[in-house]
Amino acid sequence: MKRLIAYYWLVLLCTLFSGCMKWEYGREESFSFPATAEGLFITNEGNFQYGNATLSYYDPNARTIENEIFYRANAMKLGDVAQSMVIRDGVGWIVVNNSHVIFAIDITTFKEKGRIVDLTSPRYIHFISDEKAYVTQIWDNRIFIVNPKRFEIIGHIQCPNMSMEAGSTEQMVQYGKYVYVNCWSYQNRILKIDTETDTIVDELVVGIQPTSLVLDKNNKLWTLTDGGYNGSPYGYEAPSLYRIDAERFAVERQFKLNLGDKPSEVQLNGTGDKLYWINDDVWCMDVESEQLPNTPFLPYSNTLYYGLTINPHNGDVYVADAIDYQQQGRVYRYSQTGELIDDFYVGVIPGAFCWK
Amino acid sequence: MKNLFLFFGLLSIVLSVEAQNSSKTPLSRQDLLISHSGGQPDRNIAIREIPIWGRQPMKEIGMQQTKLDSTVLRDNLAFSVADVLTYNSSIFVKQYGRATLSTVSFRGTGPSHTQVLWNGMRINNPMLGMTDFSMIPAYFIDDASLLHGTSSVGETGGGLGGAVRLATRPVQADGWGVQYVQGIGMFKTFDEFLRLTWGNDHWQISTRAVYQSSDNDYKYRNRDKKELIYDDNHTIIGSYYPVERNKSGAFADLHLLQEVYYNTGRGDRLGLNAWYIRSNRELALLTTDYADNRKFDNRQREETFRGVLSWDHLRKTWKMSAKAGYIHTWMAYDYERDPGNGIMTSMTRSRSRVNTLFGDISGEYVVGDHWFFNVDVALHQHFVESIDKNIILQEGNRGVVGYDQGRVELDGVLSAKWRPTDRMGLSLVVREQMYGNRWVTVPAFFTDYVLSKRGNIVAKASISRNYRFPTLNDLYFLPGGNPDLKNESGFQYEAGLSFSIGTPKSYALSGSVSWYDQHIDDWILWLPTTKGFFSPVNVKKVHAYGVEAQANLEVALSKDWRFEMNGTFSWSPSINKGEPMSPADRSVGKQLPYEPEYSATTTGRLNYRSWGMLWQFCYYSERYTMSSNDISLAGQLPSYFMNNLTLEKGFSFRWADLSLKGSINNLFDEEYLSVLSRPMPGINFEIFIGIIPKWGKK
Repeated sequence: MKRLIAYYWLVLLCTLFSGCMKWEYGREESFSFPATAEGLFITNEGNFQYGNATLSYYDPNARTIENEIFYRANAMKLGDVAQSMVIRDGVGWIVVNNSHVIFAIDITTFKEKGRIVDLTSPRYIHFISDEKAYVTQIWDNRIFIVNPKRFEIIGHIQCPNMSMEAGSTEQMVQYGKYVYVNCWSYQNRILKIDTETDTIVDELVVGIQPTSLVLDKNNKLWTLTDGGYNGSPYGYEAPSLYRIDAERFAVERQFKLNLGDKPSEVQLNGTGDKLYWINDDVWCMDVESEQLPNTPFLPYSNTLYYGLTINPHNGDVYVADAIDYQQQGRVYRYSQTGELIDDFYVGVIPGAFCWK
Repeated sequence: MKNLFLFFGLLSIVLSVEAQNSSKTPLSRQDLLISHSGGQPDRNIAIREIPIWGRQPMKEIGMQQTKLDSTVLRDNLAFSVADVLTYNSSIFVKQYGRATLSTVSFRGTGPSHTQVLWNGMRINNPMLGMTDFSMIPAYFIDDASLLHGTSSVGETGGGLGGAVRLATRPVQADGWGVQYVQGIGMFKTFDEFLRLTWGNDHWQISTRAVYQSSDNDYKYRNRDKKELIYDDNHTIIGSYYPVERNKSGAFADLHLLQEVYYNTGRGDRLGLNAWYIRSNRELALLTTDYADNRKFDNRQREETFRGVLSWDHLRKTWKMSAKAGYIHTWMAYDYERDPGNGIMTSMTRSRSRVNTLFGDISGEYVVGDHWFFNVDVALHQHFVESIDKNIILQEGNRGVVGYDQGRVELDGVLSAKWRPTDRMGLSLVVREQMYGNRWVTVPAFFTDYVLSKRGNIVAKASISRNYRFPTLNDLYFLPGGNPDLKNESGFQYEAGLSFSIGTPKSYALSGSVSWYDQHIDDWILWLPTTKGFFSPVNVKKVHAYGVEAQANLEVALSKDWRFEMNGTFSWSPSINKGEPMSPADRSVGKQLPYEPEYSATTTGRLNYRSWGMLWQFCYYSERYTMSSNDISLAGQLPSYFMNNLTLEKGFSFRWADLSLKGSINNLFDEEYLSVLSRPMPGINFEIFIGIIPKWGKK
């Protein structure tokens, strides 16, 4: 029996020393994609609190997809909930919401060029100049002003009638010297910011929870409200699509959807004359239209459409299916006429796109 | 590794010197800091009694259970029950960090499929459905049993995976007794344990207190992020993986447990158990978080009171029991930041209050040697008030997002057990449950048969239908609660073999192996929505099956030497058998995320006189973080082995029994994760010094 026990310990100790947790770290891949060629970045949110957000890159001409390019190029994680990305002068700015950071990357090599930290819960970044950009937040009643050149926070814009806890500022578009911001979570407003004084000069009440904001070729702002949810103390109503005149900052037209609809992601094509959005199906409407379309551009087909973009160069429509939110999502590429051109897997919860 | 040898070297020298000076009088108390007889120089080494075939309790016919005695529960006083289960059972313990949310799941099911009972009262949080085992100090538990799969049906409903039964026991004191243990560990960890006891023939009174606090700021190499090195022009010229501390992970937990037992000596026993918890825990930053922890405060606080009054009336052939209980839980979650003015301002302020009233009446009746009947009716009435967010309404006034709901949960069970021959046992259990306005019937059937008297080889089999009701958050949470959710339902069957052999005062060897198969329909999963919040839906059909095995060996090697080894192994595929959620869905036929397919544990104890050495080991295979089982760079959780080593020594003086213990956790300083982006501590040490004054006794 003693011998048996001795053998047992021996085998066990050998096992222990031979098999510890296997990690692979530190390997950086080299990428070199031409800066001027067409290319699409996809920010994959990942699961909240898992830190598994990723960045994908799709070449529409070659029809090739590269996943996890941030990790592969930099040998580190992108972070927790990659919310959005914009490109300015060959630098991609990726806003990683729950990591409290914005990464700047070279869009040909995907290597990090710098980062802005100390943000509350960043959502979107909008450039005013080379040395000034606005960063919207959730759970903060301020819009942060940053210097992208020095990767520094240089100021804040205080939002009126907004507490820190219920703070929510989202997407930004610019018309002249004014930047317009939709306020989403438990909010119902569009704010107007004077970029010369960095102050909010006006606000416009729309429906409950405007989710997204774009500016069309006629200088009309379009926003899509989600209407809240049943039981919300803030209210619950039918969602609406709003057309707002940017010059007068007034609602021109309200297109009402049905109570219980879940619209999101209003987008424009490259010429600014066609609107697209998700409401289970994918819908398309001419910006001149005075009524909502009767039939969808892409009908719902058991896909959980979560992200949407239009190729500004040729009008191809890209729609992301988050599937069950726990696996790699799939992006479908359609022509302007709704024919499937390509599809490819990206990362977990593909939420936003950014064109080169 | 150098630290390791240094630590053990020093400890050994200290202990050796002390041992030479110490008296060789046997320690006088059983309830020592040192586990088992490891600290007890009792020359008559006891070997666990081998069960006699056919004499197993009729209550346990066909049941598959793992019993954890006080030896195991006291292996490391600083351990929570989550830690104990990690190293001593085949169930999966998912830990979000040290002294952080820890959930357990049986057989590839979820944490809310594990029902938890404390002194007969269900303590699962009615809002979340699960129990945080990191909040249960092992020092407060005298008896724990794991009821695997169908075996939980006799005890409670809703345990699609199983149930954990925790209990306290009278200490059997004669007069006054005191025990105090002070633990000091790395990361400014202080663990204090105090127990006062008094007893006579009728009364047994015990007061236990545990206070555990730590900065919990262990170092780790953060390979999820890099520090950048800039030149004067803000151009990156280098980068490296920083060595970081577990920022904002401090905790301070206080537990008090008061027990009063009265035994009339004529078949009536009365008991009072009252347990108070006050916890204040920071929630540590993720490895991918770039926030300045000095400007953020992310904190969870909890105050909980649990009380149970019990009465047992025992007669020769029947027993009757009644229990009344109450649970109050207040939980607060605060996420704050300093906006620049030095004042922490709330970003999220959540509060919840749960009040639960509990009542239970049960009876047992034995007819001859062949029949046993049991009836039990339990009532839980929950009142929940949940405030998740404070907002400014459209009208400009303030509002809150939350819900205020209650639910009655009535649970009645009737069981009949029959042993027609010495070798065979049959048991039928029918449970009727009412949660709110939902009713279900839960049937279960168990059987066992003694195949061999020689090796006490017993074959067991059981089958059951079981349900789990949606939690109150599932139904009512704002935003996202879904009142249209269906109950989860499971159909499970299992079979197994157990054996036990041994020679009195020489060795004992026992083991069991069981195979199980379960289909769960309408598995509830919280998924994100396009509106930015999560909402639960009945989405999955799951096929969970596998094998569980456990073995225990105890050997008296000589007059002074004793060796014990326990091991468990689990193979637990848990496969998504639902319909594809979209044409691109690759999760069907795949293992559920965060469920290891293989796990194993081993515990070895070696005792020599008053010396004891304990080695604990656990293994979890790779856990997938994606439902498609794809492995990505950003989402991998490789398998890991974890080892702890403890050396202990008992001393007996005229005035007191002393004990000294040194523990090394994560012996091989392994970098590992239980959950993505939540680093676990590397090698760390803790020393415990315990004293039991003799109060004038010899």
